[in-house]
Amino acid sequence: MISGSFGQHGISPSGIMRATGSRTIERNLLLLAALYTLAGMLALYLGVPGAHGHQALPAGLVTVIAFFLVHLYWKKCGYKADCFLLPITAVLSSTGLVFLFRLNPAYGMRQFAWILIGLGALLLTSRLLIDFRFLGDYKYIYALGGLIALILPIFFGVEQGGAKSWLDFGLFHFQPSEFVKILVVLFLASYLVENRALLTAGTRSLGWLSIPGPQEWVPLAAMWGVSLLLLVFQRDLGTALIYFGAFLAMVYAATSRVLYVLFGLGLFIAGAAASYHLFGHVRSRVEIWLNPWPFIDTSGYQIIQSLFAIGSGGILGTGLGQGYPGFIPLAHTDLIFSAICEEMGLLGGTAVILLFMIYVYRGIKIALNTKDEFAALAASGFTALFGLQAFIIISGVTGLLPLTGVTLPYMSYGGSSLVANFILLGLLLNISHEAEAGL
Amino acid sequence: MKRNILKLGILMLGLFTVLVFYLSYLQVIKGPAIAANSYNRRFMEFEAQVRRGTIYDAKGVSLARTEFSGDRGRRIYPRGRETAHLVGYISDLYGRAGLESTYDHYLLGMEGPDRVRNFINKLLDREQSGGDIVLTLDAYLQGLAMDMLGSRRGAIVLLDPRSGAVRVMASSPSYDPNQLSDIWNSLVTDEASPLINRAAQGAYPPGSTFKIVTAAGALAGDPSLARKTFNCPGYIEVNGYKLPDTAVHGEVDIKKALAVSCNTTFAQLGLNLGPNGFERAVKAFGLEQDPGLGIPVRPATMAPSDKMDPAELASSAIGQGEVLVSPLHMALVAAAVANRGVIMRPYLVDTIKDSMGEVIQRTSERKWLTASTPEISGIIKEGMIEAVRYGTATAAAVPGMQVAGKTGSAQNPHGPSHAWFIGFAPADRPSLAVAVILENAGSGGAVAAPIAGRLLAAAAARGY
Repeated sequence: MISGSFGQHGISPSGIMRATGSRTIERNLLLLAALYTLAGMLALYLGVPGAHGHQALPAGLVTVIAFFLVHLYWKKCGYKADCFLLPITAVLSSTGLVFLFRLNPAYGMRQFAWILIGLGALLLTSRLLIDFRFLGDYKYIYALGGLIALILPIFFGVEQGGAKSWLDFGLFHFQPSEFVKILVVLFLASYLVENRALLTAGTRSLGWLSIPGPQEWVPLAAMWGVSLLLLVFQRDLGTALIYFGAFLAMVYAATSRVLYVLFGLGLFIAGAAASYHLFGHVRSRVEIWLNPWPFIDTSGYQIIQSLFAIGSGGILGTGLGQGYPGFIPLAHTDLIFSAICEEMGLLGGTAVILLFMIYVYRGIKIALNTKDEFAALAASGFTALFGLQAFIIISGVTGLLPLTGVTLPYMSYGGSSLVANFILLGLLLNISHEAEAGL
Repeated sequence: MKRNILKLGILMLGLFTVLVFYLSYLQVIKGPAIAANSYNRRFMEFEAQVRRGTIYDAKGVSLARTEFSGDRGRRIYPRGRETAHLVGYISDLYGRAGLESTYDHYLLGMEGPDRVRNFINKLLDREQSGGDIVLTLDAYLQGLAMDMLGSRRGAIVLLDPRSGAVRVMASSPSYDPNQLSDIWNSLVTDEASPLINRAAQGAYPPGSTFKIVTAAGALAGDPSLARKTFNCPGYIEVNGYKLPDTAVHGEVDIKKALAVSCNTTFAQLGLNLGPNGFERAVKAFGLEQDPGLGIPVRPATMAPSDKMDPAELASSAIGQGEVLVSPLHMALVAAAVANRGVIMRPYLVDTIKDSMGEVIQRTSERKWLTASTPEISGIIKEGMIEAVRYGTATAAAVPGMQVAGKTGSAQNPHGPSHAWFIGFAPADRPSLAVAVILENAGSGGAVAAPIAGRLLAAAAARGY
């Protein structure tokens, strides 16, 4: 690892490019994030009676310190990765933490533990996987491992929220699909780089179109199709959508052939129509998305409570602890955004969306700054994964899209999602570091 | 490849931007309407912190108030089943109904000056309170009306034709809103439908009371009818269908026809009007409209113009056929005649106050429709006076005060005829208009008219 003095420089007019890896900026932003977090915990402590605040304050403090420790370690090692992503993650995680403490201190404490574990994973990733290229060499092992990981819950798994995608380990539940997502991106990045030329140019022709031959696309489609089917059997429709979207995004990025995108969209529409007719639970989701009001007592209850919460928030929100997010089913996981909209209002909800937008923006920038194709594809894949997930769940709870059981990254209660997203962050930052350090 | 990644990025940012706009629209524009849904339990929780206002009748009798035992408040309805349909209820489980629902925001102090006041109260951790509402209703008369209905099914509406203020709106069977959670299940399964406000939402064939509308329409089309006479042989044949009369009335003018309730005459008048003329007459009285009282009202319905063949038209003209009307609308018909052809907009709420007792809204009398002319109303009024003097409505007579009225015995497929009476008093300077109906109770003259008479007498005695 290169130990450098870049971290000591602030932003200078000639050094705008260098600002990407400035740990000083990161420190300053983290200080702001720390203030934000402590303000939130203090608001809980003062405004909400009971254990909520008493446990939240120390948890918030330790979280803030933990983020700083990661930052300091990176500074010491001369890590050149993007300096904006960690503070954004800090704000998102802290917001989630504050709201979980507000909803139920038990959730808050567990999420706090998971954040620490996640930060540990982040640290390890940034240390051990800094030379991430080797990950590209094992793609078929990933495919196999991922497949097994996705199959396990079908046979041994427990159902939660309509999706049979969890494994019960006693102390906690584990959701393999969150981690397999990362393997999928790595697999695809590596595979697409290898076969890029063939896939772009095509080795056969279909009329005036040149398409790739079976050797090229069959392994791809097989891997893709199997994972999709598994997810449908696990009834985790939201995750299936994310996998599909990320897949399409990466294929387009690699081949720039709109044909594939259109073909993929066509497949998607066909698949959607088929599943609508075949599966009752898909039909039900679409029905309550289009008009939940006739089902106000039954299947539409969740989305309607979400809409009530959002509608009650107004622009400024009801104030932390002053709203009634307790009426929202599963407010601690999938619908945490609704609780945020109720208590922090339109301003709070928009702020969260903006943070996700900046995260995506930085991710794309990282992808654009890389030296080689594998890194670029991997970075764009991770960014697409992340952005799509956030978009799908926020759209779901607001009624823009059908509601699916997908977590809001860093904010929803859930260890697997949190740790997986921290690892994703770590990999993204490693790519960024390599690009910056090589400059 | 870099270009593609860039495009990807722009696409994703674009999606999020759409999301921001959508969220803004949802939360700011559609939000309040969505949150106002009665299934949104936030209201309930919020309410538990607010001292809800009281609903009073016109004389200061409380009809809905909150009683506190220690810290917990309970909503009490002192007049129970007598005012249930009007005052309504609020319930965690069963939503909200009636005026308690319509004026929720005022009772919770969420409107006008109370909004700011309560916001400050909340910050300072002081009690928040709502404002009181004063109705036009008279609780004593309402109780009397409900007594007279007894355990029978029916409705009574009493209002002031000069202003539109509603004094009585009784519907039976009723229920005790104080016991709502205990009796809810039996209420919704009871085939007598006690939850329905029959006064405003009932759908009854009006029978002969409808002849007033036919008369007004006929006279509007041909004023000379006032001086004509009609021959009643005891029946009228319409396209092969024989419409019987209650008696052979012989030679009658329009006033006498009203007084003795001659089917033949009015069927003929209806046929002369034709479907369009008839429809115009119905519209003129606002029967197909909801007058906007604050509680749900069922507009009248009848056969559409393409189904209005002569037989149906003749039947409709005497208040049978497919005509279905609410007692409230029939009371407004009587009010029209009483008030020289002008129907005043009916209203239930007299004043709305804020938590400090200041009046923030006072309902003013407003003209609603001009159903007829003073001349035509005068003619009909005379007919209605004759009905009480020697015609079908003699049982409505009240010593010391001339009552004008029209009876009806509406045939219906569910059993004996519905007993109807509509009218007003005192005839020379009407201050009360009334409609009474008892389901399947027989003759309007025998059953409904006496009830109306007693109610009018009692109301007059109270100074209305």
